[in-house]
Amino acid sequence: MSDAVQEKIKNYRTAPFDARFPNTNQTRNCFQNYLDFHRCNKVLSAKDQDTAPCDWYRRVYKSLCPISWVQKWDDQIEAGSFPGKI
Amino acid sequence: MSSFFGVVAKQIKSHPALIPLFIFISGGATMSVLALTRAALKNPDVSWDHKNNPEPWNQMKPNQQYKLLAVNMDYSKLKKDRPDF
Repeated sequence: MSDAVQEKIKNYRTAPFDARFPNTNQTRNCFQNYLDFHRCNKVLSAKDQDTAPCDWYRRVYKSLCPISWVQKWDDQIEAGSFPGKI
Repeated sequence: MSSFFGVVAKQIKSHPALIPLFIFISGGATMSVLALTRAALKNPDVSWDHKNNPEPWNQMKPNQQYKLLAVNMDYSKLKKDRPDF
């Protein structure tokens, strides 16, 4: 994993400002980072690369998303009924 | 439609004090239409073409500003900070 990404993950404090979601409603920010984490894992493991950079997305969605949502989505992914496109 | 403007012109001629009223009403109507058009065309949450553009908010640059007035946010200093995959 590149040093810049490693540095960023090491110095992580909280989710940074995302220009795609400038308003108070951050629901989509949470969901997008959750999706990006799983998509990143899928793409990098398909290419047989280290999935450590995906950790950035995991930290961001853990900062933003309510725990109940994350648990519900994790259960849905395991059951195969997750509605998002991964 | 020409009869509409004919009626309006007659009203203005007979009651010139109503002119500011027409100005404000037409201004307000124009602003509403412009706001709706801007939301329909430029809002990153809106996707008209599901096949080619399913998540339009992902097409934004990291320092692109959609809000008309952003308080306390210096957009020029933002950089991309997410890892690629």
